[in-house]
Amino acid sequence: MSGWFGVLLAVALAAALTFLTLPVVAIFAQQPPGDLVSALGEEGALDALWLSLRTTAAAVLLILVVGTPAAYLLATRRFRGRAGLVTLIELPLVLPPAVAGIALLAAVGPSTLLGRAAQDAGLQLTLATAGVVVALTFVAAPFYLRQAIAAFEAVDATLLDASRTLGASPARTFARVAIPTALPGLVAGTALALGRALGEFGATLMFAGSFQGVTQTVPLAIYDRFATDFTAALALSAVLVAVSAAILLSVKLVRGPDAVAR
Amino acid sequence: MRRLFALVALLAVAGCGDDATVSGDGGKPQIVVSAASSMKEALTACAPNFPDAGVRLQFAGSDELAAQIRQGVPVDVFAAANTKLPDALAQEGKLGEPVTFATNRLVLAVPADGKVDSLRALERPGVTLVVGAEGVPVGDYTRAVLAHLGPDRSKAVLANVRSNEPDVKGIVGKLTQGAADAGFVYASDVKATNGDLRAIELPAELKPTATYGAGVVKAAKQPDAAEAFVDDLLAGGCHKALLGAGFGEP
Amino acid sequence: MTARAAGLSIDARTPVGDLRLDVALEVAAGECVALAGPSGAGKTSVLRIVAGLLEAAHGRVACAGEIWLDTDRRIGVPAERRRCGYLFQEYALFGHLSAWRNVAYALHEAPRAQREPRARELLARFGLADRAGARPGTLSGGERQRVALARALARRPAALLLDEPLSALDARTRAAAARELAGVIRDAGVPVLLVTHDFTEAALLGDRVAVIDKGRVLQEGSASALAAAPATAFVADFTGAVVLTGEARRGDGGTLVVTLAGGGEITALEGEPGAVAVSVYPWEIALARPGEAAHDSARNHLAVDVLSVTAVGSRVRVGLAAPQPLTAELSEASARELELAPGGRAVASFKAAATRVLPL
Repeated sequence: MSGWFGVLLAVALAAALTFLTLPVVAIFAQQPPGDLVSALGEEGALDALWLSLRTTAAAVLLILVVGTPAAYLLATRRFRGRAGLVTLIELPLVLPPAVAGIALLAAVGPSTLLGRAAQDAGLQLTLATAGVVVALTFVAAPFYLRQAIAAFEAVDATLLDASRTLGASPARTFARVAIPTALPGLVAGTALALGRALGEFGATLMFAGSFQGVTQTVPLAIYDRFATDFTAALALSAVLVAVSAAILLSVKLVRGPDAVAR
Repeated sequence: MRRLFALVALLAVAGCGDDATVSGDGGKPQIVVSAASSMKEALTACAPNFPDAGVRLQFAGSDELAAQIRQGVPVDVFAAANTKLPDALAQEGKLGEPVTFATNRLVLAVPADGKVDSLRALERPGVTLVVGAEGVPVGDYTRAVLAHLGPDRSKAVLANVRSNEPDVKGIVGKLTQGAADAGFVYASDVKATNGDLRAIELPAELKPTATYGAGVVKAAKQPDAAEAFVDDLLAGGCHKALLGAGFGEP
Repeated sequence: MTARAAGLSIDARTPVGDLRLDVALEVAAGECVALAGPSGAGKTSVLRIVAGLLEAAHGRVACAGEIWLDTDRRIGVPAERRRCGYLFQEYALFGHLSAWRNVAYALHEAPRAQREPRARELLARFGLADRAGARPGTLSGGERQRVALARALARRPAALLLDEPLSALDARTRAAAARELAGVIRDAGVPVLLVTHDFTEAALLGDRVAVIDKGRVLQEGSASALAAAPATAFVADFTGAVVLTGEARRGDGGTLVVTLAGGGEITALEGEPGAVAVSVYPWEIALARPGEAAHDSARNHLAVDVLSVTAVGSRVRVGLAAPQPLTAELSEASARELELAPGGRAVASFKAAATRVLPL
């Protein structure tokens, strides 16, 4: 493309690239790498990393175990009110994290029926690690569900029919045909949910609080440190960026080599 | 096509305009005031009545606001919940000479129907306590006050901490939600909850007084209007509002 | 078990979308019935009801003595427990599994150790021994069809259901596949229900053909009977072509000479030597009394016996035997003039240009 239009396109691309990559690059470039690494060794930082890992893993596991069959049902059955149900499930997607926090407090907070019941049963939610898992699950689940529903919908129904004519029960068809066929979409959904859960801040702070080793996940730790120890904040941010990039890359690899090129 | 370009250009110019230069309120200058969260209710009420300028307020933990000013964010006035941060900024040449404009009392806040009734009760295990994070003024005050109890008692109390909030409003929130048994906040914060929380006064020997300092940011766009606002904090309409909210004289 | 009890018995009356399906069919063991009709006629729905993939409001399906569906008695065996071999139109092979794993999928009741060898053996029988480890995506259309067939037969089903088995193949592969399929159908020894929109395919593969339109079976019988004595104009139209089989060899001047099975020789202008199927449309066949001067332009003449004369609207369908069954369509006037009657003799003529040749 020649002429002013081509130049305009190139300028737009350059602007977008710069805007999007500069902050990320700055995280790594602002301080000497040695400082960043030693800041990570500090006990609070390691606690935050380990906590983020545990809670995100727990949340994603919960989402996969409950969400996958749910998405399959929604994708393969048509029933009255289905569209409404799907919208309901996707709602937390568009909720601002602060609203999500309020919502959780209103639903299972300590002053609610459910919250008190949980407490009586020995499950502490607010100011506890379980509360972090609840918050992460709530905000990240819709990301997975939406992708999973789309992935299962894209599975050719005749494959499922074929499986049944070959003697496989609906359960076996789900496990041996539907899931493997929908796998790239399911993996993409998992990555999205993972990324969202890792970065979750507002709902966690409001619902679970911020305490090292118990509820202070990496985003909360970054916020805690940025005013007093900017280097530590940078170091933790760098780790999150690296992890997010790794997640993104592995999703592309699972989708196939052509997706990497794309 | 031409119309589209003209529209885009117009919007770009309009967007680039400074708040300080684009005057609202019929020609009055605009100033941006960064203030500690504990002053939220009082300043939100008095700022619209400030005669010399239109005031845009932003509230957060004082340490976060100080960090922004260090990074060069162009606000006009910095009003903190301590004197440490304004002094530090003045040392670094980022703030003009700070003045002490109000005091606040650190109190032990409990839910109106709470079971904790004294500082002593906090030293027993099993109490859920929420305090401010280190580096946030309310958090630093809390630790300084507890330090006056002596190392053993201080340690016992701090062992009950279940959350280090970055913002004093976060502490208040946990208390009003019933998630915690007690928390250390300012007297003004308890007053603002209109009865949901009860304040337990701390003995004078623990030095629970918080001194608030403010100054004009060196990078301010409207230094004169900013100076006028600091004076207002010291002795004008906003000062009265602070007193009404439970703050004290400096 | 009587022949009837060993076969497939279908009776389905149910609305399917806008269609009201009302079909009753009997398929004996070892017999292939072709259900032929235009798209939307409901043929695939019949297959799906037999397989248990579609619910019927009223119906009864029994196979080899087992009742799979009986709405009156509230019996409905789930699809996975009916021993149906179903060949889907696009084969529905599992893309994430290799060919032998696709076949082994059906062998889940067999001991684990036996699954791979049995699957590979089945594929070998279909000539795919060296492609057993390949993914469906790398196989050709014909190879995929054979894998799908092997998979459908792996469980030794009690009935075989074929959905447009040849339509997804290109013309070249279709001929060889048809031959193979006919062999499979013969060897399977179970009732086979085949569904197609192509009457020629139905005629080639089916022992009997049932023409279906708008959810109802209009006529059932051998392909030639349907062509010769169509019950309705629709059937007449649908069973357009006449199909004759024979052996072809090259003739003079680039022509192809076909010696018909049972006698008779015709000439065509196209086609390859070898076993062929020849197709002509009934209205391209002219009839004359034996011994009368042949039409100049027509090159092909066959001495035929007249078997039946059927009026269809303003036209007349004449069933002939050459000795292979043949059908001619004439105007009422021509038929009257020739004084055609069952038991008589005639000469059927048609142009070489009107003779279509298909490899067999």
